[in-house]
Amino acid sequence: MEFDPGLFIGLFARTFTFWWLILPAIFLGLVVGAIPGFSAANTIIILLPMTLAMDPETGLIFMVALYASSRMGAGIPAILVNIPGTAGAAATPLDGYPMTKQGRGQQALAISFVSSVFGGLLATVITLLAMPWLSQLAFYLHSVEMIVIMLFGISLIATIAARDTLKGLIAGFFGLMIGYIGADVVYETPRGTFGFLELYDKVPLIPALVGLFAVSEAFFVIEGESILSKRGREAMQKAGWAGTIEGVRIALSKWWHIIWTSMIGLVIGVVPGAGAAIASFVAYQQSRTFSKTPELYGTGHVEGLIAPESANNGVTSGTLVPLLVIGIPGGATAAIMLVVLQYHGVTMGPDLFMDNPELAYGPFAAMAVTYFMMIFTIAPLARYMSRITVVSTIYMSPIIISFTLVGAFVPRQYMFDMYLALVFGVIGYIARKTGYHTAAILIGVILGPLLETYFLRVLKMSEGDIMVIFSSALGNVMWVALVICLATPYMLQRWRDRKAAA
Amino acid sequence: MTDHEEQENPERKSLGGDLVLPIGAFLFTLYYFYTIIDVPRIAQVSAFFVGTILIFLLILLAVRIGREVKAGTADLRLGRLGEPRSFIPKRLALFALTLGFIFFVEWLGFTLTVFAFLSLAMLLLSGGKKKGLAFSIAGILALGGYLLFIVAFNTRFPAGPFEQLMEWLF
Repeated sequence: MEFDPGLFIGLFARTFTFWWLILPAIFLGLVVGAIPGFSAANTIIILLPMTLAMDPETGLIFMVALYASSRMGAGIPAILVNIPGTAGAAATPLDGYPMTKQGRGQQALAISFVSSVFGGLLATVITLLAMPWLSQLAFYLHSVEMIVIMLFGISLIATIAARDTLKGLIAGFFGLMIGYIGADVVYETPRGTFGFLELYDKVPLIPALVGLFAVSEAFFVIEGESILSKRGREAMQKAGWAGTIEGVRIALSKWWHIIWTSMIGLVIGVVPGAGAAIASFVAYQQSRTFSKTPELYGTGHVEGLIAPESANNGVTSGTLVPLLVIGIPGGATAAIMLVVLQYHGVTMGPDLFMDNPELAYGPFAAMAVTYFMMIFTIAPLARYMSRITVVSTIYMSPIIISFTLVGAFVPRQYMFDMYLALVFGVIGYIARKTGYHTAAILIGVILGPLLETYFLRVLKMSEGDIMVIFSSALGNVMWVALVICLATPYMLQRWRDRKAAA
Repeated sequence: MTDHEEQENPERKSLGGDLVLPIGAFLFTLYYFYTIIDVPRIAQVSAFFVGTILIFLLILLAVRIGREVKAGTADLRLGRLGEPRSFIPKRLALFALTLGFIFFVEWLGFTLTVFAFLSLAMLLLSGGKKKGLAFSIAGILALGGYLLFIVAFNTRFPAGPFEQLMEWLF
């Protein structure tokens, strides 16, 4: 795995000759990323007959281009209508949607596109250069550390997403309990399923996403004529290309922010199972912590939009590292890529980099070329995409309900999943109305099964001794950091109150 | 509380709505604990760990709300959850239509059910105005959805008479 400039230059030049394949994959990825239920993973599964028929290199380029652009596509509905296309974009609406409501939807999209493209591009280049070191990261994190990371994740998200920390934590831990529904991985005993066979295999994520974000939002917005404020509507009607140009300018002026938040995404992406959802929330939290104006986050603050978008695109190349280096996919899409490559007889691991470096480094070259092409193909579309926000809620709400509910049906093709999405819609609606953030519930649902799996693993190894969760030095450092992280806002508030009273 | 009393205490918060989700979470956690009573201990630990933290947080919230009610700065009415009241009938009707959509999509298929749901929901939300526009949008979107998802993406959406007829024709 040594750095060979000649190999990389040749690889990039060769990848550019696949423009005829990358461009359609970009547009397909944008569409499927933007529709909840049509993730890149599902689309690649649907298109498996086509990708399996291609040679490994061509198939891999197609899958990688679709994967990268779907990540960007997921941010579009998150910004425009408060509905993330995938869980990885769940932090995007925190500041993206308020910008849209102010009539700055076009600008927000442009900022999101620039952050995604440069964040993704940079993370890809860094991955290429730092592959040998990045691949070691996954070896340091065992089940105990992963338990702390999961609890860290849910606590961070809960404190970020909700204005009231206690409510945020309740939402997050309620989500974790929902995520525990189903048969456990060791004993296969059904728990909390209400007798539904469809829940034995855990709570499916797409109906949860559709219900908590899309259905609840559709029922919520009918109170207004449009999702935009009156001033926002006026601003949108006057908008020309200026919004896009201004968005690009603002995003480029925050280049340092893009760099370090995309690096957070890359590092988290390398850890198998952590994923874009955690990365985007961690990046958001870090961005707010180091900001000079933390009080502006959640009100349509540019840095609050850049952080999650750069980070979730930084994850994209990170998830490919464990796949190619140790054969462990970092996410669902990477797992499907593994299946395709294994079908062609390609064996993952260090040998791949010695025997077939073009194929090993090829996905990163394809990703970099995809991001490069997206700069010129997607950014100009922001002006037209943002027009959707002026559509009246009379038409918008029914469209959101019908199309996303059918999207909930697609992954497993159970009618039950549509009813489940409606139940999550009711939970999401109550949460929105009473200040329990839906993103915290969703992340709990995502992390619940992972947390339980790691818990079961360490308890099996320690023969049921719960104190095993404090048995690792690295894990203990993380526990302390978790306590400090939760206690600091309270301590700071008390200190400010005392200072104000004095 | 009457409107008159409410005007006397404009700063008083209604926190009853804030308890709806926690009560649901509490009942679900108890039900979950009940379903793991006979499970091997190792499989119980993580659920008890998370469930206990959740119940602790719920108690903290209940104490906080209780103190505010006792201090007279809050009451237990539904507040924002039940507002605006004028939208409750429309919202309930939309919910009933959504339930109907899910029930009928299995029999009528994607295209016809989407068309019927979109038309009825748009008419409901617009108060029966612009019928032509509602039917046109519903028709275009239902047909567009059929062409994009079923024909182009080959997605296995629920199939009904329309999809079967199209398959037979082409």
